[in-house]
Amino acid sequence: MLDEGAPIFSQIAERLSEEIAEGVLAEGERVPSTNELAAYYRINPATAAKGINVLTDGGLLEKRRGIGMFVAARARERLLETRRQRFTERYVEPLVAEANRLGIDAESVVALVRESSAAGGGVRV
Amino acid sequence: MTAWINVGRYHLVDPIAYLVAPWAILAFVFLINLVITEAEGGPNPTKALAVIYLCFFGLGILSAGGSLPFGLALGASRRSYYTGTLLLAVALAAADGLGLALLQVAERGTHGWGLALHVFQVSYILAGPWYLTWLTSFVGLTLLFVYGMWYGIIYRRWNRFGLVAFIVGQVAVIRVWIVIVDRGHNWGGAGFSFTPSPMGLTAVLAALAVVLLIGGFALMRRVSV
Amino acid sequence: MTPTISVSGLTRRYRGQRALDDVTFDIDGPSITGLLGRNGAGKTTLMRIIATQEFASAGSVRVLGSSPVENGAVLRRMVLVREDQTFPRLRVRHLLRAASWFYPNWSGGLAEGLVADFNLPLNRNVGGLSRGMRTALGIVIGLAARAEVTMFDEPYAGLDAVARQLFYDRMLADFTDHPRTMLVSTHLIDEAADLLERVLVIDQGRIVLDAAADDLRGAATTVSGTVDAVEEFAAGRAVWDRRSIGSQESVVVSGVLDDDDRARARQLRLSLTPLSLQQLVSQVPGRSNQDLKEDQSA
Repeated sequence: MLDEGAPIFSQIAERLSEEIAEGVLAEGERVPSTNELAAYYRINPATAAKGINVLTDGGLLEKRRGIGMFVAARARERLLETRRQRFTERYVEPLVAEANRLGIDAESVVALVRESSAAGGGVRV
Repeated sequence: MTAWINVGRYHLVDPIAYLVAPWAILAFVFLINLVITEAEGGPNPTKALAVIYLCFFGLGILSAGGSLPFGLALGASRRSYYTGTLLLAVALAAADGLGLALLQVAERGTHGWGLALHVFQVSYILAGPWYLTWLTSFVGLTLLFVYGMWYGIIYRRWNRFGLVAFIVGQVAVIRVWIVIVDRGHNWGGAGFSFTPSPMGLTAVLAALAVVLLIGGFALMRRVSV
Repeated sequence: MTPTISVSGLTRRYRGQRALDDVTFDIDGPSITGLLGRNGAGKTTLMRIIATQEFASAGSVRVLGSSPVENGAVLRRMVLVREDQTFPRLRVRHLLRAASWFYPNWSGGLAEGLVADFNLPLNRNVGGLSRGMRTALGIVIGLAARAEVTMFDEPYAGLDAVARQLFYDRMLADFTDHPRTMLVSTHLIDEAADLLERVLVIDQGRIVLDAAADDLRGAATTVSGTVDAVEEFAAGRAVWDRRSIGSQESVVVSGVLDDDDRARARQLRLSLTPLSLQQLVSQVPGRSNQDLKEDQSA
């Protein structure tokens, strides 16, 4: 379940972020507690708590006393915004670099993107 | 104090060894003697009583040898383990000693169980009134228990090698003692003139028990488990 | 805050050898710390001395603020479960009863549940138990005692993988509900890796690594690919290991890799495999704590 290459707490934070970004965890919905996460992933509760704290510090989760942790308002938007900012760096630049290596010109790249998008029913270009 | 009680309880968690076994074995030996004497007019007096003293010796070894590691593992300090065990031993010695004294009374009353069989009366040392018998038995049982504890502790500290050394050492001391006594028949220091009376002997045994008791504690202080 | 366990300059000399050599560390509670090392490294000796079952030659130990030696007040708040524990020849239920008297926090309910989980025969004499059952008995006592300082010394002898996972699960569950300071020694490191917050590695009596478990994840990576690509990637980095066959090479690079590094590795068509905690720990003897820390910041 967990990867050996990165601190566990950041993997926990990542996964929860994913779920929020994809809408699986909706705004105002309750997030698993530290103890539940610890039991599920079979990890130390302190580590689970650290992961939750990362998201709380980032404003993605809010604590409601006595009840638990909940997805904050507009958390999804905020996450998607951050990802948009990283999109170029993470996806576009490597794509371009690889295309260059393979000798594929820009227009062909765009055509490939269109094809792929049509097949997957995704981005409208 | 709670620690001492816990240690005592710990030894008694299976009551058979400390409470039942000495009497069961004694009863068994007693019955055999009874049957033999009935049939053949056998050995009279017998040495059957030694059995319960040997039991206490064995229990001493058990308490400070076999049960020690787990006792310390449960969080008893060495001090409280030793004290708790000793208190148990003293209580048992007092109770069982009383039992032996009462049996002596019964034996006298029935003229040796109707067969002139002397198990609980031993000439010279266990031949007096019941309360002195109680005292002497109490001292004797305690002494043997503490002596057994020495074996247990020595085994835990120095293993088989230590035990062997301890036994060999005692044998050597006794041999030296015998030589000294041989050489000086009239030498009062050999200790024989110490014991003109049963009470004198009891006092010597009691002193010996106290010495072993203190020494045993010194040994236990640095035992590792 | 006073550390729960504080060990300073602890040395144990035995027959000319140093079973422990100037060991110093503090453990704050509640937490789960792993004490890792090979057989004979000194893990058991260290835990026995903390539990006062053995005596140190030099140095000091403080538990819950005071020396535990002959200190009943501290001893009853501490439990050490050893894989080589000598039990008196009593039945399992007797041993559990005795334990219940000595530990003020003893939970009979938890003990019952664990006995059922591990299928321990309550009426059997301990002498008739298999190795695995003896270990399970130790685990029951260690967990049900709910002692503030709970130490397990290699709690897996004779237990199969399923039983071991059961132990980890129960330990974690009870730790979550009743947090305490736990010190667990093991050489099955990867199994327990996710439970540990902190790692102490001991080798030949010395502490060679003292780090947070999280800091160690991703601390070293195996990089493999063509020799040229690997060398290019590894240039300027601390390299721990180098293997090659033909035109392929594999090196272990220390230092955490960031997204840029990964992107570069992808471009160079290198495969990256992080070292597991077990692999990391086995690399440590021969490298100092300093080495690892320096490699991190490089």
